[in-house]
Amino acid sequence: MGFPSPALDYQEDRISLDKEIIQHPNATYFMRMDGLSMVSAFIPPGALLVVDRSLIPKNMDIVIATVGGEFMARYLRKNDVKAWLVPANSKMQEQLITPELAVTIWGVVIAVVTEPNKLSTDVCPR
Amino acid sequence: MFALVDCNNFYPSCERVFNPKLEGKPVIVLSNNDGCAIARSEEAKALGVEMGTPAHMIEDLIREKDIQVYSSNYALYGDLSDRVMTILATFVPKMECYSIDEAFLDASELHDQNLRQLGLAIRETVKQHTGLPVSVGIAPTKTLAKIANRYVKKKKIAGGVHWLSTAADIGEVLQFTKVGDIWGIGPERAKVCLRHGFKTAFDLSLAPDDWVLKEMTVAGHRLLQELRGIACIEWELEPPPKKNIGSSRSFGKLMTQKIDIEQAVANYMATCAAKLRKQRSCAGKIHVFIQTNPFRTEDAQYFRSITMPIPVATNSTPELVRYALKALDIIFKPEFKYLKVGVMVLDLVPENQTQSGMFDSKDRGKDRLIMKTVDTLNNALGKDLVRFAVQGFENRYKLRAAHISPRYTTLITDIVKITA
Repeated sequence: MGFPSPALDYQEDRISLDKEIIQHPNATYFMRMDGLSMVSAFIPPGALLVVDRSLIPKNMDIVIATVGGEFMARYLRKNDVKAWLVPANSKMQEQLITPELAVTIWGVVIAVVTEPNKLSTDVCPR
Repeated sequence: MFALVDCNNFYPSCERVFNPKLEGKPVIVLSNNDGCAIARSEEAKALGVEMGTPAHMIEDLIREKDIQVYSSNYALYGDLSDRVMTILATFVPKMECYSIDEAFLDASELHDQNLRQLGLAIRETVKQHTGLPVSVGIAPTKTLAKIANRYVKKKKIAGGVHWLSTAADIGEVLQFTKVGDIWGIGPERAKVCLRHGFKTAFDLSLAPDDWVLKEMTVAGHRLLQELRGIACIEWELEPPPKKNIGSSRSFGKLMTQKIDIEQAVANYMATCAAKLRKQRSCAGKIHVFIQTNPFRTEDAQYFRSITMPIPVATNSTPELVRYALKALDIIFKPEFKYLKVGVMVLDLVPENQTQSGMFDSKDRGKDRLIMKTVDTLNNALGKDLVRFAVQGFENRYKLRAAHISPRYTTLITDIVKITA
Protein backbone atom coordinates (compact mmCIF):
# COMPACT_ATOMS: atom_id res chain seq x y z
CA MET A 1 0.00 0.00 0.00
CA GLY A 2 1.23 3.48 -0.88
CA PHE A 3 -0.10 6.69 0.64
CA PRO A 4 -3.74 7.16 1.59
CA SER A 5 -5.47 9.68 -0.65
CA PRO A 6 -5.60 13.15 0.92
CA ALA A 7 -8.98 13.57 -0.84
CA LEU A 8 -10.57 10.76 1.18
CA ASP A 9 -12.15 13.03 3.78
CA TYR A 10 -13.50 15.34 1.09
CA GLN A 11 -15.26 12.77 -1.08
CA GLU A 12 -18.52 14.00 -2.56
CA ASP A 13 -21.11 12.56 -4.90
CA ARG A 14 -20.45 13.32 -8.54
CA ILE A 15 -22.86 15.74 -10.22
CA SER A 16 -25.85 13.88 -11.59
CA LEU A 17 -28.05 15.33 -14.33
CA ASP A 18 -31.01 13.32 -13.04
CA LYS A 19 -30.66 14.73 -9.53
CA GLU A 20 -30.12 18.28 -10.78
CA ILE A 21 -33.20 18.34 -12.98
CA ILE A 22 -35.71 15.94 -11.44
CA GLN A 23 -37.29 17.04 -8.18
CA HIS A 24 -40.24 14.65 -8.15
CA PRO A 25 -39.03 11.33 -9.60
CA ASN A 26 -42.39 9.61 -9.11
CA ALA A 27 -44.19 12.32 -11.07
CA THR A 28 -41.61 12.85 -13.82
CA TYR A 29 -41.92 11.44 -17.34
CA PHE A 30 -40.00 11.81 -20.60
CA MET A 31 -41.46 12.78 -23.96
CA ARG A 32 -39.99 13.47 -27.39
CA MET A 33 -40.70 16.71 -29.29
CA ASP A 34 -41.50 15.90 -32.88
CA GLY A 35 -42.94 19.11 -34.33
CA LEU A 36 -42.14 22.80 -34.81
CA SER A 37 -44.74 24.32 -32.48
CA MET A 38 -42.18 25.39 -29.83
CA VAL A 39 -39.18 25.99 -32.03
CA SER A 40 -38.77 29.65 -30.98
CA ALA A 41 -38.63 28.56 -27.34
CA PHE A 42 -35.45 26.59 -28.07
CA ILE A 43 -37.32 23.30 -28.40
CA PRO A 44 -36.37 21.81 -31.79
CA PRO A 45 -37.89 18.62 -33.17
CA GLY A 46 -35.98 15.72 -31.64
CA ALA A 47 -35.54 17.38 -28.23
CA LEU A 48 -36.14 15.32 -25.12
CA LEU A 49 -38.73 16.88 -22.82
CA VAL A 50 -38.64 16.28 -19.08
CA VAL A 51 -42.21 16.61 -17.80
CA ASP A 52 -43.25 16.97 -14.15
CA ARG A 53 -46.91 16.19 -13.47
CA SER A 54 -46.86 17.29 -9.85
CA LEU A 55 -46.46 21.01 -10.60
CA ILE A 56 -49.30 23.50 -10.93
CA PRO A 57 -48.45 25.51 -14.08
CA LYS A 58 -47.75 29.20 -13.66
CA ASN A 59 -48.45 31.84 -16.30
CA MET A 60 -46.20 31.23 -19.36
CA ASP A 61 -44.88 27.85 -18.20
CA ILE A 62 -44.33 25.44 -21.07
CA VAL A 63 -46.81 22.63 -20.65
CA ILE A 64 -47.85 19.36 -22.22
CA ALA A 65 -51.58 19.67 -22.86
CA THR A 66 -54.09 17.31 -24.35
CA VAL A 67 -56.63 18.84 -26.69
CA GLY A 68 -59.40 16.49 -27.76
CA GLY A 69 -57.17 13.54 -26.87
CA GLU A 70 -54.15 14.89 -28.79
CA PHE A 71 -50.87 15.72 -27.04
CA MET A 72 -49.29 19.11 -27.68
CA ALA A 73 -46.53 21.31 -26.24
CA ARG A 74 -47.44 25.01 -25.67
CA TYR A 75 -46.92 27.99 -23.43
CA LEU A 76 -49.82 28.29 -21.00
CA ARG A 77 -50.79 31.95 -20.81
CA LYS A 78 -53.40 32.75 -18.22
CA ASN A 79 -54.98 35.55 -16.24
CA ASP A 80 -57.69 35.47 -13.59
CA VAL A 81 -60.48 34.61 -16.02
CA LYS A 82 -59.06 33.13 -19.18
CA ALA A 83 -56.25 30.89 -20.39
CA TRP A 84 -54.64 30.26 -23.77
CA LEU A 85 -52.36 27.66 -25.32
CA VAL A 86 -49.68 29.64 -27.14
CA PRO A 87 -47.23 28.13 -29.64
CA ALA A 88 -43.66 29.45 -29.94
CA ASN A 89 -43.93 29.61 -33.70
CA SER A 90 -45.10 32.74 -35.52
CA LYS A 91 -46.77 30.63 -38.24
CA MET A 92 -49.15 29.06 -35.73
CA GLN A 93 -52.25 30.33 -33.93
CA GLU A 94 -52.82 30.57 -30.21
CA GLN A 95 -55.95 28.93 -28.82
CA LEU A 96 -58.30 30.20 -26.14
CA ILE A 97 -59.12 27.36 -23.76
CA THR A 98 -62.86 26.70 -23.76
CA PRO A 99 -64.85 23.80 -22.31
CA GLU A 100 -65.68 22.58 -25.86
CA LEU A 101 -61.97 22.13 -26.66
CA ALA A 102 -61.68 19.44 -23.95
CA VAL A 103 -58.26 20.59 -22.76
CA THR A 104 -56.31 18.98 -19.93
CA ILE A 105 -52.90 20.04 -18.69
CA TRP A 106 -50.89 16.81 -18.56
CA GLY A 107 -47.71 18.21 -17.02
CA VAL A 108 -45.17 21.01 -16.92
CA VAL A 109 -42.00 20.87 -19.05
CA ILE A 110 -39.16 21.41 -16.56
CA ALA A 111 -36.20 20.75 -18.85
CA VAL A 112 -35.34 20.33 -22.51
CA VAL A 113 -32.43 18.10 -23.44
CA THR A 114 -31.00 18.43 -26.94
CA GLU A 115 -28.20 16.30 -28.30
CA PRO A 116 -26.90 18.41 -31.22
CA ASN A 117 -25.42 15.48 -33.09
CA LYS A 118 -28.75 13.70 -33.06
CA LEU A 119 -30.84 16.63 -34.30
CA SER A 120 -31.74 16.92 -37.96
CA THR A 121 -29.42 19.28 -39.89
CA ASP A 122 -32.45 21.47 -40.80
CA VAL A 123 -32.67 22.62 -37.19
CA CYS A 124 -29.02 22.32 -36.25
CA PRO A 125 -26.82 23.02 -39.33
CA ARG A 126 -23.31 21.58 -39.28
CA MET B 1 -57.74 2.35 11.25
CA PHE B 2 -56.89 0.87 7.88
CA ALA B 3 -57.14 2.60 4.51
CA LEU B 4 -57.39 0.44 1.42
CA VAL B 5 -56.30 2.37 -1.66
CA ASP B 6 -57.16 0.68 -4.93
CA CYS B 7 -56.54 1.95 -8.46
CA ASN B 8 -59.72 2.02 -10.53
CA ASN B 9 -59.52 -0.35 -13.53
CA PHE B 10 -55.75 -0.19 -13.21
CA TYR B 11 -54.55 -1.58 -16.55
CA PRO B 12 -56.97 0.38 -18.78
CA SER B 13 -56.26 3.49 -16.69
CA CYS B 14 -52.50 3.05 -17.29
CA GLU B 15 -53.14 2.87 -21.04
CA ARG B 16 -55.19 6.07 -20.86
CA VAL B 17 -52.48 8.11 -19.13
CA PHE B 18 -50.28 7.93 -22.22
CA ASN B 19 -53.07 7.71 -24.77
CA PRO B 20 -55.68 10.33 -23.88
CA LYS B 21 -57.72 9.41 -26.96
CA LEU B 22 -58.92 6.40 -24.97
CA GLU B 23 -60.75 8.66 -22.51
CA GLY B 24 -64.46 7.84 -22.54
CA LYS B 25 -64.00 4.82 -24.83
CA PRO B 26 -64.43 1.19 -23.83
CA VAL B 27 -60.99 -0.35 -23.21
CA ILE B 28 -60.07 -3.94 -22.39
CA VAL B 29 -56.70 -5.49 -21.58
CA LEU B 30 -56.03 -9.13 -22.43
CA SER B 31 -54.17 -11.77 -20.44
CA ASN B 32 -50.77 -13.12 -21.48
CA ASN B 33 -50.90 -14.46 -25.02
CA ASP B 34 -53.94 -12.29 -25.75
CA GLY B 35 -56.25 -14.92 -24.30
CA CYS B 36 -58.97 -13.40 -22.13
CA ALA B 37 -60.16 -9.97 -21.01
CA ILE B 38 -58.55 -9.46 -17.59
CA ALA B 39 -59.24 -5.76 -17.14
CA ARG B 40 -62.06 -3.54 -18.37
CA SER B 41 -62.77 0.16 -18.31
CA GLU B 42 -66.17 1.25 -16.93
CA GLU B 43 -67.42 1.69 -20.52
CA ALA B 44 -66.40 -1.88 -21.40
CA LYS B 45 -68.12 -3.21 -18.28
CA ALA B 46 -71.27 -1.33 -19.28
CA LEU B 47 -71.17 -3.09 -22.67
CA GLY B 48 -71.36 -6.40 -20.81
CA VAL B 49 -67.77 -7.61 -21.29
CA GLU B 50 -67.31 -10.06 -18.42
CA MET B 51 -64.06 -10.65 -16.56
CA GLY B 52 -62.19 -13.56 -18.14
CA THR B 53 -64.11 -13.64 -21.43
CA PRO B 54 -61.91 -15.13 -24.19
CA ALA B 55 -61.15 -12.40 -26.72
CA HIS B 56 -62.20 -14.49 -29.70
CA MET B 57 -65.69 -14.87 -28.26
CA ILE B 58 -66.37 -11.14 -28.32
CA GLU B 59 -64.81 -10.28 -31.68
CA ASP B 60 -68.14 -9.02 -33.06
CA LEU B 61 -68.85 -6.85 -30.01
CA ILE B 62 -65.33 -5.42 -30.22
CA ARG B 63 -65.85 -4.43 -33.86
CA GLU B 64 -69.40 -3.14 -33.40
CA LYS B 65 -68.75 -1.02 -30.31
CA ASP B 66 -65.20 -0.03 -31.24
CA ILE B 67 -63.77 -1.52 -28.05
CA GLN B 68 -60.08 -0.66 -27.72
CA VAL B 69 -58.13 -3.85 -27.13
CA TYR B 70 -54.68 -4.01 -25.51
CA SER B 71 -52.23 -6.81 -24.76
CA SER B 72 -50.96 -6.63 -21.20
CA ASN B 73 -47.98 -4.27 -20.94
CA TYR B 74 -46.50 -5.30 -17.60
CA ALA B 75 -43.41 -3.11 -18.00
CA LEU B 76 -45.72 -0.09 -18.00
CA TYR B 77 -48.14 -1.31 -15.32
CA GLY B 78 -45.24 -2.32 -13.07
CA ASP B 79 -43.59 1.08 -13.30
CA LEU B 80 -46.81 3.00 -12.66
CA SER B 81 -47.57 0.69 -9.74
CA ASP B 82 -44.14 1.50 -8.26
CA ARG B 83 -44.86 5.18 -8.60
CA VAL B 84 -48.27 4.86 -6.91
CA MET B 85 -46.84 2.77 -4.03
CA THR B 86 -43.99 5.22 -3.43
CA ILE B 87 -46.43 8.13 -3.34
CA LEU B 88 -48.75 6.28 -0.92
CA ALA B 89 -45.81 5.53 1.38
CA THR B 90 -45.31 9.26 1.94
CA PHE B 91 -48.71 9.57 3.65
CA VAL B 92 -48.46 6.98 6.43
CA PRO B 93 -45.84 5.41 8.69
CA LYS B 94 -46.64 1.85 7.58
CA MET B 95 -48.21 0.22 4.55
CA GLU B 96 -48.65 -3.14 2.89
CA CYS B 97 -48.61 -3.51 -0.90
CA TYR B 98 -51.39 -6.02 -1.31
CA SER B 99 -51.29 -6.39 -5.10
CA ILE B 100 -50.07 -4.53 -8.17
CA ASP B 101 -52.86 -1.98 -7.80
CA GLU B 102 -53.88 -1.89 -4.14
CA ALA B 103 -52.31 -1.24 -0.75
CA PHE B 104 -53.39 -1.20 2.88
CA LEU B 105 -52.25 1.95 4.70
CA ASP B 106 -51.91 2.21 8.45
CA ALA B 107 -53.99 5.21 9.44
CA SER B 108 -54.05 4.44 13.17
CA GLU B 109 -51.45 7.00 14.19
CA LEU B 110 -53.47 9.70 12.49
CA HIS B 111 -56.44 9.10 14.74
CA ASP B 112 -57.34 12.69 15.49
CA GLN B 113 -57.18 13.84 11.91
CA ASN B 114 -60.22 13.76 9.72
CA LEU B 115 -59.49 10.59 7.80
CA ARG B 116 -61.79 11.55 4.95
CA GLN B 117 -59.46 14.50 4.35
CA LEU B 118 -56.53 12.09 4.31
CA GLY B 119 -58.34 9.93 1.75
CA LEU B 120 -59.10 12.93 -0.46
CA ALA B 121 -55.48 14.12 -0.28
CA ILE B 122 -54.22 10.67 -1.27
CA ARG B 123 -56.61 10.50 -4.20
CA GLU B 124 -55.76 13.99 -5.39
CA THR B 125 -52.00 13.46 -5.17
CA VAL B 126 -51.97 10.07 -6.93
CA LYS B 127 -54.17 11.48 -9.71
CA GLN B 128 -51.99 14.55 -10.14
CA HIS B 129 -48.64 12.73 -10.08
CA THR B 130 -49.55 9.66 -12.14
CA GLY B 131 -52.84 10.41 -13.86
CA LEU B 132 -54.39 7.32 -12.25
CA PRO B 133 -57.75 7.44 -10.45
CA VAL B 134 -57.95 5.60 -7.11
CA SER B 135 -60.67 4.78 -4.59
CA VAL B 136 -60.10 4.81 -0.85
CA GLY B 137 -61.96 2.84 1.82
CA ILE B 138 -61.15 3.62 5.45
CA ALA B 139 -62.31 1.43 8.33
CA PRO B 140 -61.28 -0.14 11.64
CA THR B 141 -60.34 -3.50 10.03
CA LYS B 142 -58.82 -4.68 6.77
CA THR B 143 -61.97 -6.55 5.79
CA LEU B 144 -64.16 -3.51 6.42
CA ALA B 145 -61.69 -1.28 4.51
CA LYS B 146 -62.00 -3.66 1.55
CA ILE B 147 -65.80 -3.53 1.82
CA ALA B 148 -65.79 0.28 2.10
CA ASN B 149 -63.59 0.50 -1.00
CA ARG B 150 -65.92 -1.71 -2.98
CA TYR B 151 -68.83 0.44 -1.80
CA VAL B 152 -67.10 3.56 -3.19
CA LYS B 153 -66.81 1.93 -6.61
CA LYS B 154 -70.25 0.34 -6.79
CA LYS B 155 -72.07 3.42 -5.47
CA LYS B 156 -69.80 5.85 -7.34
CA ILE B 157 -69.33 7.82 -4.12
CA ALA B 158 -68.43 11.45 -4.84
CA GLY B 159 -64.80 12.19 -4.00
CA GLY B 160 -63.87 8.52 -4.29
CA VAL B 161 -63.41 8.15 -0.53
CA HIS B 162 -65.53 6.44 2.11
CA TRP B 163 -64.67 6.48 5.80
CA LEU B 164 -66.56 4.19 8.14
CA SER B 165 -66.28 6.45 11.15
CA THR B 166 -69.40 5.35 13.06
CA ALA B 167 -71.26 2.12 13.76
CA ALA B 168 -74.06 3.42 11.52
CA ASP B 169 -71.65 3.83 8.60
CA ILE B 170 -70.43 0.27 9.10
CA GLY B 171 -73.99 -1.05 9.29
CA GLU B 172 -74.90 0.65 6.05
CA VAL B 173 -72.07 -0.84 3.96
CA LEU B 174 -72.57 -4.26 5.55
CA GLN B 175 -76.24 -4.19 4.53
CA PHE B 176 -75.18 -3.28 1.01
CA THR B 177 -72.62 -6.11 0.69
CA LYS B 178 -73.75 -9.62 -0.24
CA VAL B 179 -71.96 -12.45 1.58
CA GLY B 180 -70.42 -13.66 -1.68
CA ASP B 181 -68.78 -10.26 -2.18
CA ILE B 182 -66.98 -10.28 1.17
CA TRP B 183 -63.20 -10.42 0.87
CA GLY B 184 -62.14 -13.95 1.84
CA ILE B 185 -65.47 -15.70 1.29
CA GLY B 186 -65.39 -18.07 -1.67
CA PRO B 187 -68.41 -19.37 -3.61
CA GLU B 188 -68.65 -22.54 -1.46
CA ARG B 189 -68.69 -20.63 1.83
CA ALA B 190 -71.17 -18.16 0.37
CA LYS B 191 -73.55 -21.03 -0.41
CA VAL B 192 -73.33 -22.31 3.17
CA CYS B 193 -74.12 -18.82 4.47
CA LEU B 194 -77.08 -18.40 2.12
CA ARG B 195 -78.47 -21.79 3.09
CA HIS B 196 -78.55 -20.61 6.69
CA GLY B 197 -80.25 -17.36 5.82
CA PHE B 198 -77.24 -15.04 5.95
CA LYS B 199 -77.66 -12.95 2.82
CA THR B 200 -75.61 -9.84 3.50
CA ALA B 201 -72.42 -9.08 5.37
CA PHE B 202 -74.66 -7.47 7.97
CA ASP B 203 -76.58 -10.73 8.52
CA LEU B 204 -73.30 -12.58 8.86
CA SER B 205 -71.91 -10.10 11.36
CA LEU B 206 -74.81 -11.06 13.66
CA ALA B 207 -74.27 -14.81 13.25
CA PRO B 208 -73.68 -16.79 16.47
CA ASP B 209 -69.96 -17.32 17.14
CA ASP B 210 -70.24 -21.06 17.68
CA TRP B 211 -72.13 -21.55 14.40
CA VAL B 212 -69.41 -19.68 12.50
CA LEU B 213 -66.66 -21.65 14.26
CA LYS B 214 -68.38 -24.91 13.36
CA GLU B 215 -69.30 -24.11 9.74
CA MET B 216 -66.48 -21.80 8.71
CA THR B 217 -63.56 -22.76 10.98
CA VAL B 218 -61.22 -20.37 12.75
CA ALA B 219 -60.51 -18.40 9.57
CA GLY B 220 -64.23 -17.72 9.19
CA HIS B 221 -64.49 -16.63 12.79
CA ARG B 222 -61.61 -14.21 12.32
CA LEU B 223 -63.51 -12.76 9.38
CA LEU B 224 -66.62 -12.42 11.55
CA GLN B 225 -64.64 -10.45 14.11
CA GLU B 226 -63.29 -8.25 11.35
CA LEU B 227 -66.85 -7.51 10.16
CA ARG B 228 -67.70 -6.52 13.72
CA GLY B 229 -64.87 -4.01 13.73
CA ILE B 230 -62.28 -6.02 15.68
CA ALA B 231 -59.01 -6.12 13.70
CA CYS B 232 -57.72 -9.69 13.45
CA ILE B 233 -55.84 -9.80 10.18
CA GLU B 234 -52.25 -8.84 10.79
CA TRP B 235 -50.00 -6.62 8.73
CA GLU B 236 -47.98 -8.50 6.16
CA LEU B 237 -45.21 -6.04 5.57
CA GLU B 238 -42.77 -8.48 4.00
CA PRO B 239 -44.19 -11.15 1.76
CA PRO B 240 -43.26 -14.57 3.18
CA PRO B 241 -40.79 -16.48 0.96
CA LYS B 242 -42.74 -18.56 -1.51
CA LYS B 243 -43.02 -22.29 -0.94
CA ASN B 244 -42.62 -23.09 -4.60
CA ILE B 245 -42.05 -21.07 -7.73
CA GLY B 246 -43.36 -21.90 -11.15
CA SER B 247 -43.21 -20.59 -14.66
CA SER B 248 -45.42 -21.86 -17.45
CA ARG B 249 -47.08 -20.41 -20.48
CA SER B 250 -48.90 -21.33 -23.60
CA PHE B 251 -46.90 -20.99 -26.77
CA GLY B 252 -48.07 -18.41 -29.27
CA LYS B 253 -48.64 -21.34 -31.66
CA LEU B 254 -48.44 -25.13 -31.50
CA MET B 255 -44.88 -26.49 -31.26
CA THR B 256 -43.54 -29.79 -32.55
CA GLN B 257 -39.76 -29.35 -32.60
CA LYS B 258 -37.98 -30.58 -29.50
CA ILE B 259 -35.35 -27.86 -29.74
CA ASP B 260 -38.01 -25.13 -29.42
CA ILE B 261 -39.52 -26.78 -26.39
CA GLU B 262 -36.09 -27.26 -24.83
CA GLN B 263 -35.49 -23.56 -25.30
CA ALA B 264 -38.75 -22.68 -23.56
CA VAL B 265 -38.00 -25.04 -20.67
CA ALA B 266 -34.51 -23.54 -20.30
CA ASN B 267 -35.93 -20.02 -20.26
CA TYR B 268 -38.67 -20.78 -17.76
CA MET B 269 -36.18 -22.54 -15.51
CA ALA B 270 -33.78 -19.60 -15.80
CA THR B 271 -36.64 -17.31 -14.65
CA CYS B 272 -37.38 -19.60 -11.69
CA ALA B 273 -33.68 -19.79 -10.77
CA ALA B 274 -33.37 -16.00 -10.79
CA LYS B 275 -36.46 -15.75 -8.53
CA LEU B 276 -34.95 -18.35 -6.19
CA ARG B 277 -31.74 -16.35 -5.91
CA LYS B 278 -33.70 -13.18 -5.31
CA GLN B 279 -35.43 -14.66 -2.27
CA ARG B 280 -32.23 -16.54 -1.26
CA SER B 281 -33.67 -20.01 -1.53
CA CYS B 282 -32.53 -23.26 -3.11
CA ALA B 283 -34.73 -25.94 -4.67
CA GLY B 284 -34.58 -29.61 -3.72
CA LYS B 285 -36.94 -30.81 -6.44
CA ILE B 286 -38.10 -29.76 -9.88
CA HIS B 287 -41.31 -30.45 -11.74
CA VAL B 288 -41.71 -30.27 -15.52
CA PHE B 289 -44.91 -30.72 -17.52
CA ILE B 290 -45.84 -30.68 -21.17
CA GLN B 291 -49.25 -30.68 -22.83
CA THR B 292 -51.09 -30.53 -26.14
CA ASN B 293 -54.07 -28.24 -26.81
CA PRO B 294 -57.11 -29.90 -25.19
CA PHE B 295 -59.48 -27.71 -27.20
CA ARG B 296 -58.23 -29.05 -30.53
CA THR B 297 -60.20 -32.26 -30.41
CA GLU B 298 -58.96 -33.20 -33.88
CA ASP B 299 -55.39 -33.50 -32.52
CA ALA B 300 -54.00 -36.45 -30.58
CA GLN B 301 -53.82 -35.51 -26.91
CA TYR B 302 -50.91 -35.90 -24.53
CA PHE B 303 -50.15 -34.65 -21.05
CA ARG B 304 -47.25 -35.76 -18.94
CA SER B 305 -45.49 -34.35 -15.92
CA ILE B 306 -42.52 -35.47 -13.92
CA THR B 307 -41.07 -34.52 -10.56
CA MET B 308 -37.35 -35.04 -10.07
CA PRO B 309 -35.29 -34.71 -6.88
CA ILE B 310 -32.00 -32.84 -7.07
CA PRO B 311 -29.15 -34.37 -5.05
CA VAL B 312 -27.98 -31.07 -3.58
CA ALA B 313 -30.51 -28.23 -3.32
CA THR B 314 -29.43 -25.45 -5.66
CA ASN B 315 -30.40 -22.14 -7.28
CA SER B 316 -27.77 -22.19 -10.01
CA THR B 317 -29.26 -21.66 -13.46
CA PRO B 318 -27.07 -24.12 -15.41
CA GLU B 319 -27.60 -26.85 -12.85
CA LEU B 320 -31.37 -26.43 -12.69
CA VAL B 321 -31.62 -26.14 -16.47
CA ARG B 322 -29.63 -29.37 -16.88
CA TYR B 323 -32.04 -31.24 -14.61
CA ALA B 324 -35.07 -29.68 -16.31
CA LEU B 325 -33.84 -30.79 -19.74
CA LYS B 326 -33.18 -34.26 -18.40
CA ALA B 327 -36.76 -34.33 -17.14
CA LEU B 328 -38.09 -33.09 -20.47
CA ASP B 329 -36.11 -35.82 -22.23
CA ILE B 330 -38.06 -38.42 -20.28
CA ILE B 331 -41.55 -37.07 -20.97
CA PHE B 332 -41.17 -35.60 -24.48
CA LYS B 333 -42.75 -37.55 -27.35
CA PRO B 334 -42.08 -36.28 -30.88
CA GLU B 335 -45.45 -37.17 -32.41
CA PHE B 336 -47.58 -34.49 -30.72
CA LYS B 337 -48.26 -30.80 -31.23
CA TYR B 338 -47.58 -29.02 -27.96
CA LEU B 339 -49.34 -25.95 -26.66
CA LYS B 340 -47.83 -25.50 -23.24
CA VAL B 341 -44.87 -26.41 -21.09
CA GLY B 342 -44.09 -25.40 -17.58
CA VAL B 343 -41.52 -25.88 -14.88
CA MET B 344 -41.72 -25.55 -11.14
CA VAL B 345 -39.15 -25.63 -8.38
CA LEU B 346 -40.19 -27.29 -5.12
CA ASP B 347 -38.91 -28.18 -1.65
CA LEU B 348 -37.39 -24.77 -1.20
CA VAL B 349 -34.87 -24.26 1.58
CA PRO B 350 -33.02 -21.12 2.64
CA GLU B 351 -29.76 -20.73 0.74
CA ASN B 352 -27.62 -21.00 3.87
CA GLN B 353 -29.27 -24.21 5.07
CA THR B 354 -28.56 -26.52 2.14
CA GLN B 355 -27.10 -29.89 2.94
CA SER B 356 -24.11 -30.83 0.84
CA GLY B 357 -23.98 -34.28 -0.64
CA MET B 358 -21.31 -36.76 0.33
CA PHE B 359 -20.21 -37.23 -3.27
CA ASP B 360 -20.73 -33.65 -4.35
CA SER B 361 -17.67 -32.58 -6.30
CA LYS B 362 -19.06 -29.32 -7.64
CA ASP B 363 -17.29 -26.04 -6.94
CA ARG B 364 -20.34 -24.31 -5.45
CA GLY B 365 -18.50 -21.14 -4.48
CA LYS B 366 -17.49 -20.54 -8.09
CA ASP B 367 -21.02 -21.31 -9.28
CA ARG B 368 -22.48 -18.78 -6.87
CA LEU B 369 -20.05 -16.12 -8.03
CA ILE B 370 -21.00 -16.74 -11.68
CA MET B 371 -24.73 -16.51 -10.93
CA LYS B 372 -24.25 -13.37 -8.90
CA THR B 373 -22.44 -11.76 -11.81
CA VAL B 374 -25.14 -12.85 -14.27
CA ASP B 375 -27.87 -11.42 -12.01
CA THR B 376 -26.04 -8.11 -11.59
CA LEU B 377 -25.53 -7.74 -15.33
CA ASN B 378 -29.12 -8.67 -16.14
CA ASN B 379 -30.50 -6.32 -13.51
CA ALA B 380 -28.40 -3.46 -14.83
CA LEU B 381 -28.64 -4.06 -18.55
CA GLY B 382 -31.96 -5.76 -19.09
CA LYS B 383 -33.64 -9.08 -18.44
CA ASP B 384 -31.95 -12.06 -20.06
CA LEU B 385 -29.10 -10.09 -21.61
CA VAL B 386 -26.65 -12.64 -20.28
CA ARG B 387 -28.05 -16.09 -20.80
CA PHE B 388 -27.04 -19.68 -21.24
CA ALA B 389 -26.71 -20.90 -24.83
CA VAL B 390 -29.51 -23.44 -24.45
CA GLN B 391 -31.96 -20.61 -23.74
CA GLY B 392 -31.47 -19.59 -27.36
CA PHE B 393 -31.40 -16.09 -28.77
CA GLU B 394 -34.65 -15.87 -30.61
CA ASN B 395 -37.90 -16.34 -28.87
CA ARG B 396 -39.87 -18.53 -31.19
CA TYR B 397 -42.04 -19.59 -28.30
CA LYS B 398 -42.57 -15.97 -27.31
CA LEU B 399 -45.91 -14.69 -26.15
CA ARG B 400 -48.49 -13.43 -28.54
CA ALA B 401 -48.98 -9.73 -27.79
CA ALA B 402 -50.48 -8.28 -30.93
CA HIS B 403 -51.96 -5.18 -29.27
CA ILE B 404 -49.22 -4.13 -26.88
CA SER B 405 -48.71 -0.41 -26.25
CA PRO B 406 -45.24 1.21 -26.04
CA ARG B 407 -43.21 0.93 -22.84
CA TYR B 408 -43.73 4.66 -22.28
CA THR B 409 -41.79 4.93 -19.01
CA THR B 410 -39.09 2.28 -19.21
CA LEU B 411 -37.72 2.45 -22.76
CA ILE B 412 -36.41 5.72 -24.19
CA THR B 413 -37.33 4.81 -27.78
CA ASP B 414 -40.94 4.20 -26.66
CA ILE B 415 -41.69 7.57 -25.04
CA VAL B 416 -44.65 9.69 -26.16
CA LYS B 417 -44.00 11.80 -29.28
CA ILE B 418 -45.36 15.34 -29.28
CA THR B 419 -46.28 16.05 -32.87
CA ALA B 420 -48.31 19.20 -32.37
